[in-house]
Amino acid sequence: MNVKNGGLSFLFLLLVFALVGCSSGNAEGSGKNNKELIIADWGGPYSEAKVKAAVVPFEEKHDIKVTVITPPDYGKLKAMVENGHVEWDVVSVDNDYAIRAGSLGLLEKMDFDVIKKEGLYEELVHDYGVPNDIYSTLIAYNTDTFPTGDHPKSWADFWDTEKFPGPRALYKEPKWTMEAALLADGVEPENLYPLDVDRAFAKLDEIKDDIKVWWTAGAQPPDLLATDEIPISVAWSGRITEAREDGAPVDLEFNQGIIATNTWVVPKGSPNKELAMEFIAFALEAEQQAAFSSNYDNAPANTDALSLLDEETISRLGQSEEKQGQQVFTDDNWWVENFDEVNERFQQWLLE
Amino acid sequence: MIEAKKELRIPAERVSFSQRLSRMNGLKWLLLFVPLGYIMILMFFSMFDFFKMSIFNDDGFTLEYLAHIFTTDIYLKVLWLTLKIAFLVTLFSLLFAYPVAYMLVRTESGLWKKIILAAVLIPFWISLLVRTYAWTILLQKNGAINKLLMELGIIAEPLNLLYNSTGVIIGMTHILLPYMVLSLYSVMEGIDQRLLQAAEGMGARPWKAFMQIFFPLSLPGVLAGSLLVFVMGLGYYITPALLGGADTPMIAMLIESNINTTLNWHLASALALVLFVATLLLLFLAFLVSRGNPVLKELD
Repeated sequence: MNVKNGGLSFLFLLLVFALVGCSSGNAEGSGKNNKELIIADWGGPYSEAKVKAAVVPFEEKHDIKVTVITPPDYGKLKAMVENGHVEWDVVSVDNDYAIRAGSLGLLEKMDFDVIKKEGLYEELVHDYGVPNDIYSTLIAYNTDTFPTGDHPKSWADFWDTEKFPGPRALYKEPKWTMEAALLADGVEPENLYPLDVDRAFAKLDEIKDDIKVWWTAGAQPPDLLATDEIPISVAWSGRITEAREDGAPVDLEFNQGIIATNTWVVPKGSPNKELAMEFIAFALEAEQQAAFSSNYDNAPANTDALSLLDEETISRLGQSEEKQGQQVFTDDNWWVENFDEVNERFQQWLLE
Repeated sequence: MIEAKKELRIPAERVSFSQRLSRMNGLKWLLLFVPLGYIMILMFFSMFDFFKMSIFNDDGFTLEYLAHIFTTDIYLKVLWLTLKIAFLVTLFSLLFAYPVAYMLVRTESGLWKKIILAAVLIPFWISLLVRTYAWTILLQKNGAINKLLMELGIIAEPLNLLYNSTGVIIGMTHILLPYMVLSLYSVMEGIDQRLLQAAEGMGARPWKAFMQIFFPLSLPGVLAGSLLVFVMGLGYYITPALLGGADTPMIAMLIESNINTTLNWHLASALALVLFVATLLLLFLAFLVSRGNPVLKELD
């Protein structure tokens, strides 16, 4: 009899503990002590460079603990805010997401009394986000097949399969692919937006049979290029310079590169909002920005940081005056308005 | 009757704790309700909540999202391609897994059994991402498979094995194969091997004995394995994304982009609902087919 009751109450206790465990977890989340800042970032060498450049100095300066977690899951951020259970203080996101999430009421407004706009590219600053670094989507190539100098130097060259024979790879997203097609068709950079979608698809039709790979992950292009599976590809700048430094026969062309940014945002209801703004402001200071860009091949978002970097680094980042001038900024506002429609058409076009 | 009496005579102090535990009424129910509650609450409740979004938005009830799916070509086309790829993967897994499972049951040598099981299970324990990347190395233009075939003079030009549906089917079949092998094996092991001996003893050739005795008895495993692989294949995401090309969008990729990129959860939910209903319809179809089969009927 005793044993029976004992067994049952033991199981019951287990159940109670399990439930209590859940609820105490909740309590801890909302009443977190103010001395821990949680940052959601993309991980890998990219985050390591950021930790070294900005996170550790910030910890020392404010004597607090900063935890970096990965990845910044967009669906999770939305769910967190809507359920009123926000764990993240600072999140690094794509800029179009920042605009979209901001208009949906998922983000806190940036506190521009704390965060200084000076030096930041004004194209990339808006109410709900500031850039944390910039990178370009551009033409990359295998240097054995196309020695630098005789390589494709513009999107028109990318489209010219007579002059530069071989299969191509493009990003399996309409964003940047549309821009590349229009630039190849001779649209002037200043007239790029609003994108002429019909014209872009017509231009893409010309090259469709030569696109052998539609890549989905940034790690794919350097690999495809290094093995010469594909001699010419669209790629993200940092991925190519990284592979080049590892000795892979790859290089990139900054001309007509399309500049985009990773954007800092603060989720609505962040437990440490003030501290979050202070961290963003600190990370954007020239010194921290320069430290980041000397460890990782994304360019600083704060142009003041360029004066702290040597010529060679600036050129490698595509930030010399000449290379910077050849590039175009992505208009994320246009994309937020039009992405759904263009993407449906793009997916449809891929299947045709 | 005699059995029962014997049991009654065992003195109370000799009944072990575990036996007493297993006789408790309350515990039996608890053992049922805890896992059942876990499944019902955590899965069905949240699924229901998610599906609600496909027909309700801020303005109340709406069929806008479902209508959008059925009036825009792309979504049904992708659903169709997804079903096609899942079906082909199921077919190939069955073709490869059946002989493996059969050997596993028929072989007398314990060593071989272990070797075959290890060959099936070890890849099963390796991360999906790692295995998918491994396939890109094997299948690419200058990859091991193309090089070998060219050295042997079988082909003159490298084959396009990667970044198209061929690559996706190869990769997914490889990843889902263990599920099929294990489903088949668990059923085949229960088949009385003496039935085959009896059939052969009565003059059936081995092939005929296999076709008339063993294969029909293994059908429950074929059905279970096929459904498992097919349904898992429908939701695949990473493998088609990395090995596929323009012709292999999968519905899970569209759902993901609506959840994460465009934050259009209503459309994502409607897509998930369409996939869910399509899957249920197919399972129902499988149920109807299996009802006519005498071996499968016994399962009910």
